[in-house]
Amino acid sequence: MLRRGSIAASLFWLSAGWLVLALVTTGALLTDLYSRALDSTLTETLDFHVESLAGALLEAGDPQDDGIVLADPRFERPRSGWYWIIRGEEGGLINLSTSVVGIDLPGVGAAADAMGRSTEVINDPFGTQLRMVERNVTLGGTSYRITVAGNLTEMLKLVADFRGQTFIVLGAVGVMLAVMSTIVARIALRPIARLSKAVEAVREGESAEVSGTYPTEIAPLAEEVNELLRSNVQIIERARNQVGNLAHGLKTPIAVLRNEAYARKGALADIVASETEKMSNMVSTYLERARLAARTSVVGKKADPTMIMLRLTRVMRKIHPDVTIAFQRPDASLPWFRGDEADFEEMAGNLLDNACKWSKGQVGVRLSSIRAEKGTQLLMRIDDNGPGLSVEDARKVLRRGVRLDEKTPGSGLGLDIVKELVDVYGGELELKRSQLGGLLVELRLPTARLGGLVKPPGN
Amino acid sequence: MRILVVEDDENLNRQIKDALTEAGYAVDVAFDGEEGHFLGDTEPYDTIILDIGLPQMDGLSVLEEWRRAGKTTPVLLLTARDRWSDKVQGIDAGADDYVAKPFHMEEVLARVRALVRRAAGHASNEIVCGAVRLDARSGKVTVEGQSVKLTSHELRLLSYLMHHKGKVISRTELTEHLYDQDFDRDSNTIEVFVGRLRKKLPEDCIQTVRGLGYQILGD
Repeated sequence: MLRRGSIAASLFWLSAGWLVLALVTTGALLTDLYSRALDSTLTETLDFHVESLAGALLEAGDPQDDGIVLADPRFERPRSGWYWIIRGEEGGLINLSTSVVGIDLPGVGAAADAMGRSTEVINDPFGTQLRMVERNVTLGGTSYRITVAGNLTEMLKLVADFRGQTFIVLGAVGVMLAVMSTIVARIALRPIARLSKAVEAVREGESAEVSGTYPTEIAPLAEEVNELLRSNVQIIERARNQVGNLAHGLKTPIAVLRNEAYARKGALADIVASETEKMSNMVSTYLERARLAARTSVVGKKADPTMIMLRLTRVMRKIHPDVTIAFQRPDASLPWFRGDEADFEEMAGNLLDNACKWSKGQVGVRLSSIRAEKGTQLLMRIDDNGPGLSVEDARKVLRRGVRLDEKTPGSGLGLDIVKELVDVYGGELELKRSQLGGLLVELRLPTARLGGLVKPPGN
Repeated sequence: MRILVVEDDENLNRQIKDALTEAGYAVDVAFDGEEGHFLGDTEPYDTIILDIGLPQMDGLSVLEEWRRAGKTTPVLLLTARDRWSDKVQGIDAGADDYVAKPFHMEEVLARVRALVRRAAGHASNEIVCGAVRLDARSGKVTVEGQSVKLTSHELRLLSYLMHHKGKVISRTELTEHLYDQDFDRDSNTIEVFVGRLRKKLPEDCIQTVRGLGYQILGD
């Protein structure tokens, strides 16, 4: 179906309108030409009959001779529309065809042409249109006016039939052309549909750039989109590098100030210690926000959660050697995370690191996919056998910057970063009670489309 | 225990050195990657604190060089880049732990303690050899529950021997691990401190293995 407002629909209606106009004009022109040709032929035929009558008149000697006839039998049939009359110079009737019954055939009033022939169209009393041709002939010193009339209505009927058939044929041609123009439009627009799919694949994270070959008309558009994506990546990369440099530049002096303040006693040291603490938190918070702001416009990225979790569990086993981390590798059908690999690593790393810090030696990690309102989601479950959290504490900890225990190392920003990233990706973070006795963190994130590879849960 | 601190910021380097010295460690310092790499390559450190952003040779390259050369000394990375992708990169390069700037000095000390303990194969901060009990976190020593007062040098010596209990430790090894590189290696201070320790601890706690060194037997 042609959708309203589509290029295909516009092309169809434009070409259909043009075709109707062109075909109607063609039909009218053809009919007119045919009509003129027939009328001209009729006039020539009637002129020929005039000459035949002149010959017969000459041959018979007597203008009233019954032997003056024309071979065409229609001149013998009354009301046939085919008549001839020979009049004297004064207009007196001398001879006529047997078809002239009940009518008074007048002479031609129109002026003669260069060949001495005058023609006219009249209606006889029976409603038949007649083409009349008349010539003045002088034989043996006597002038005669020979008038021959032909049935114009018959010819007009032929023209009408021709018009009808012409419009049927042209209508069929029009329909074929319209169908063809629709097919051509669809074929011509196919590369645009391919381009649209390629851009969608980039948005879905299935491809890093618009791929495929396109006709010269839209190839520059595909190249422009790729250029835009590349420049976007470069801008973000530069922003990230600047953010990293700023982090390095600020954090070392803050560390120096803070350590110096903690190593000394007195009011000044206390103020420096507390203010550098605030500075440190603000630097971390706003640097992370700057990273987030740069990240929201990143498109076309996806990451394999299994590989990231394998890497992170390997790292965690080194950092927390006293903790046993159970990670069951999910099967290959697990959908990928739709987003930046470093972001997924940041969320999973912080959650897993928290679980290791709080656990009493046991941490479990599971990855699976679930069907939700927003489509298939990636579900990450991390639980530990630590002290866990009460419902009230769980609610508190999900608020920004809240730390329940200052003893366990860390800035307290880890979970804040996770929360911000979860918001950016439209995911969900829940804290529950683990079967191991401690905390169970459930993180739901969007998945990259993998066609038929995504299986429903439980399969 | 002897620690190497490789950090280009002079103030931060000094602060870490002071904190470690105060905690009873012998500390050497380096201010760029090349110097740090040379020291780590030639001296027997118990732990190395290594900054990632260093002049001349970056921290990760230094670390990779050490690991390629077969050095297994525990390395604690210091960096301002605190994303998990950076941490993973650091650990994959061969680091054993990671501290993000700005840090609390207690956190660095705790990580260093844990690395030293883990490298010696101890699961807890408390090391027990017979009646002698050492709390590596607080630096307190008790004999049958009674607190024993030790000087910082005596504590260093006892701590090293207890971390490597059951092993015969030569005088050279002790000197290398208890004093920084500026120390006069020919002095007989080790024998003096062993003598003092023997007076404060049960008689047969530290045994002399003739011609080889000293040994604290396990429990």
